[in-house]
Amino acid sequence: MVENEGKAFGMPAWSAAATSILNGCIGDYLTHRDNGLAIDMAFYGRGKPLALTPDSLRTEWGAPKRKLCVLLHGLCCHEGVWNYPDDPARSYGNALRDDLGYTPLFLRYNTGLPVPYNGKSLDILLEELLLAFPGPVDEIILVGHSMGGLVLRGACHYGVERDAPWVRLVSRAFYLGTPHEGALLEKMAHLMTSVLRAVPHPVTALVGDVAGRRSQGVKDLRDGTTAHADDFTGAVPWLASAQHYLIAGTVTDDPEHLAARLFGDGLVHPPQAGDNVRLFPGLGHMDLAHDEAVYGQIRTWCAST
Amino acid sequence: MEPETVRQIRGAKELVEEAIDAATLRIGEVQRVMTRKPYAVLALVPPIAVPVRAIEDAHLHIVDGVYFAIRLGNRLAGLMAGYALDRLEEHARGKPAP
Repeated sequence: MVENEGKAFGMPAWSAAATSILNGCIGDYLTHRDNGLAIDMAFYGRGKPLALTPDSLRTEWGAPKRKLCVLLHGLCCHEGVWNYPDDPARSYGNALRDDLGYTPLFLRYNTGLPVPYNGKSLDILLEELLLAFPGPVDEIILVGHSMGGLVLRGACHYGVERDAPWVRLVSRAFYLGTPHEGALLEKMAHLMTSVLRAVPHPVTALVGDVAGRRSQGVKDLRDGTTAHADDFTGAVPWLASAQHYLIAGTVTDDPEHLAARLFGDGLVHPPQAGDNVRLFPGLGHMDLAHDEAVYGQIRTWCAST
Repeated sequence: MEPETVRQIRGAKELVEEAIDAATLRIGEVQRVMTRKPYAVLALVPPIAVPVRAIEDAHLHIVDGVYFAIRLGNRLAGLMAGYALDRLEEHARGKPAP
């Protein structure tokens, strides 16, 4: 994974990060305009998209394991978000490979596109992966950080709808700081945009218009939309055949602190306590994607029967 | 330079061009609205209403002209950059463009 932070297509590392941020902000516009900066959904290895053919997958992994771990990053990020800052060679995917024998698959996608659209694309991509995979697959686990958790829920929903073979292999899904109930920041942005547009002044209307140009992906975070953006009537059911685990953080070490109750992990409020819910006080939203304690919890849950 | 890199640079070029064009158009519209406000007040005074309208027309023509010049310059710069990228792409693909 360390190479994933390196050059992609001969471009420097900052370019991949800048492109991902741009895609998060206006990715739907980039795709609509067929702009060369728009990211096409793919599994990435060493900063390049993997061709879904048995030969290329064998070249990437050698002898691949029978268990797959698919990791989905969040808004404005790319697969480099999984790398530990102090040890870029380590990530949840690589650690699960070394400890429990999972083949890690790092997804990169245009986070500015509608979440349901990305969910549908992932559903198709996972089917293509299984067809091209050089060997049998017994199990798939899904790990989604922030928006990635919504996308994987959407993919499962669409997979179930058309009875896709890959869905039956999903045993566990992990949601790290995923805004299932909607993200407070986007709710505030929506309110501010509405106010700015309502003020009868051309400058505030202009600022409101610019703010309103943020991507549909960002707007989908307001309600935690996962599927059926056009006729959304409620949250899609969780994939019944899999175990679901929610991991969240708070900005303060004391989860009862006012700041933690107001801002959650900085962007997303933690879910209500439950059997498969684990709260990590003092861990910010981005830290959830590369923290040893979080990995320890994921590993424990993966190892449990 | 790899073709994918050239494609991304071309995408960045197009995005900057489109952003400048859209921003210039929208800011020009806002400035037009703002410009007309004081003239609308002055035009309420009957003795100066006619010259005020004439000055307002001239002012708006200048405003429109400035923004048109910016957009024209942006399009020309975009064309030149596009030409340069075509040559770069030829080089990246290792063959001349058709």
